[in-house]
Amino acid sequence: MNDPLANASAFVLLLAITAYSTAGGVDFGAGIWDLFAGRGPQSRRPRELIDHAMAPVWEVNNVWLVLGIVLCWTGFPLLFQSVFAALYPLFTLALIGLILRGAFFAFRHIAADPRAHYAADLVFGLSSLLTPFFFAACLGAIASGRLAFDQMSVAFGLVSLAATAFSGASFLVGDARRYGFDDLVAYFRRRAILAGFVLITIGTLALGAIGLEAPALLRSMLAGVGLPFVLATMILTPLVMLLLWRRRYVWYRVLTVTGIGSMVFAWGFAQSPYLLPGQLTISQAAAPHSTQLLLLAVAAVLVLVIGPAMALLYYLDQRGALEPPEA
Amino acid sequence: MESMLVLAGEALLPSRIQMAFTLASHVLLVPLGVALPTLTLLMEGIGIWRKDPVALTIARRWSVVMAVQFAVGAVTGTILSFEFGILWPRMMGRFGAAFGLGFAIEGLAFFMEAIFISIYLYGWNRLRPRAHFLVGLTLPPAGLLGAFGVLSANAWMNTPGGVTIDSGRVVDVDVLQALFTRALGYEFWHFLIALYMTAGFVVASVYAVAWLRGRRDHYQRLAFAVPFTIAAALTPVQLLVGDLSARAIASDQPAKFAAVEITWTTRDHNPEVLGGYIDDSGEVHLGIAIPSLDSLLVGYSPNTVVRGLTSFAADSRPNTLEVNIVHLAFDVMVGLGSAGAALSAWFLWILLRRRRLPESRWFYRLAALSGIGSYVAVESGWITTEVGRQPWIVSGTLRVSDAVTDAPANFVWTSLIALVVIYALIAFFFVTLLIKLAERWRREDSGVAAAPEMGVPYGPRSVPGE
Repeated sequence: MNDPLANASAFVLLLAITAYSTAGGVDFGAGIWDLFAGRGPQSRRPRELIDHAMAPVWEVNNVWLVLGIVLCWTGFPLLFQSVFAALYPLFTLALIGLILRGAFFAFRHIAADPRAHYAADLVFGLSSLLTPFFFAACLGAIASGRLAFDQMSVAFGLVSLAATAFSGASFLVGDARRYGFDDLVAYFRRRAILAGFVLITIGTLALGAIGLEAPALLRSMLAGVGLPFVLATMILTPLVMLLLWRRRYVWYRVLTVTGIGSMVFAWGFAQSPYLLPGQLTISQAAAPHSTQLLLLAVAAVLVLVIGPAMALLYYLDQRGALEPPEA
Repeated sequence: MESMLVLAGEALLPSRIQMAFTLASHVLLVPLGVALPTLTLLMEGIGIWRKDPVALTIARRWSVVMAVQFAVGAVTGTILSFEFGILWPRMMGRFGAAFGLGFAIEGLAFFMEAIFISIYLYGWNRLRPRAHFLVGLTLPPAGLLGAFGVLSANAWMNTPGGVTIDSGRVVDVDVLQALFTRALGYEFWHFLIALYMTAGFVVASVYAVAWLRGRRDHYQRLAFAVPFTIAAALTPVQLLVGDLSARAIASDQPAKFAAVEITWTTRDHNPEVLGGYIDDSGEVHLGIAIPSLDSLLVGYSPNTVVRGLTSFAADSRPNTLEVNIVHLAFDVMVGLGSAGAALSAWFLWILLRRRRLPESRWFYRLAALSGIGSYVAVESGWITTEVGRQPWIVSGTLRVSDAVTDAPANFVWTSLIALVVIYALIAFFFVTLLIKLAERWRREDSGVAAAPEMGVPYGPRSVPGE
């Protein structure tokens, strides 16, 4: 049974997940590099850049998460119920990471004692690993159709860590370039390329895991609607690495986001029309039409209002118009 | 079978405590979240059109508090939205299509706030004053929309409507009816006014403390007078709206009303009991009973019949403990509201008759307490409406015990403890940050200048690596 309204809502839900994976991913990735920056004096400069890059978007990425959750329980209540009834431990761990991260990001700005400062860095960095891993693990548990923490969850979780580290480093290259810190450009460029190799390795292994655990999903990823997105990821990730390797600093951030976004799309499209493979389709889980209409209206308003506002914010930010004047 | 039921119910108590705890924490952030942007804009407007640099400084400092608060509220709000799934999955599975509508609107509002707060905060220096003010004008409606969404969802739980149910499943939703249920009218206005009053009293109380410590300059007067005037002007309106709400609840949610007034049996000439508590046999202890007053308030006549708790099945009304909590919370709310009204009358009297601010030390002592008093009143209001609905999560339709998760009780207890610890940490960091800001601003006022947003986690960048 085809249901265009429910399909549209499901697509909006996929968009929200994609937005959180990409925008939130860059943010979590910065946290991961903060963790790996070490402890000595050499860690000071990268950490300051990370702070600096994160401050304007501190906790703002939660809007995508909340939007996704609300779309899910309103548009697809049955999906929401089955997913949360089964996966509540994973969500709880992801959430605990989320609040610890926000709290300790704030705390390291007010911690005066160096030991407390170091502890704050550590909690902030570790929670930057915890949250993306367990959110992605939930997606893995959904993709297998089994709603259990198993190889698929681990595969999705690890891919998300590699992907966030990769996009985090790629964007930090951009931030370092804006301030003309050549040493930090080199620092994060090396790390972005390294993370790219890790992402390709783990991504390939994850495809193998999907093939073993959910062959139907792999089939539609490689020979169905998922294929264009799988190809996009496979081409764009090495391309970004190549650009950074050759020090051609053009398009690399857009291509990073497109590559990671394609990965999410590959999963989402490959498992359609199922929300829970083998168990629940989009139209089976969908709320009544009137509810779907309101959700789509909200999405439309969002695009109309938020689009220009985001563009303005981005424009002001890129022009440096939001910087405080030199003291 | 018996043991199965017991097992399913085990997580009920920790789940209720966790929901109550996280909601009670989040609700503390709501008044400033919704209403502080308006106060800030008012101050900015004064600064721009009266060419008052002091007003601009105040507005700019408030905007920093606004943004830090927003970041904390974003986290606690995200937690709440996940808890609906983690703790109450059956509620969402059955009624998400209707109950979720308000949250979809709230999600939109949250998004708008997030973006425009960023632009507003980062735009202080480089946007032209009027353009900056215009950007800020988007914030009050966004806060209003968010409050509408959440209150619409809450009102739906109290007076559900707009759904067609077939064999336990929602098959059709009338969007407008589900968004605008009976309780929304009074819940929305009552809470919205409460938010503005609270924000006004809370912000003003900071500067009342400054007055008590001896600060008497233009800065202190302005930062005290604007928010306090707004709160004081709204207080009489709130008394009226509160009265209307109570009367509407008496007819829409009679069990809740019976709990509020600890009315045991249905009767006319029902007394209004101030304080006191009720026991399992329906006897009222302590407390001051004013004869027939409840009947008079509900129907303007001592002959008005008011429904008592015993007119509801024992398993369909709040239990004795819950009834006493509701009654106490309601009395605290009304008591604090009346105290606020008296303080407001004092303030308005002097302001209107003598065209100046009060100069009594006692006035400023009470004003300094008005902020905390308002927070307690807001909490009491939430307790009244939430505990008063028990044992239902959706009034008359779905029991809390039927909506709760199957998770083992130990799991929920553990997550509850973790959340309490982390929230305590957040509260500590948050307060420390505010104190540090206040200290720095005081230092700046005595000489050295710097942009107020600097060094705040949610603030424009300082140049790194310097």
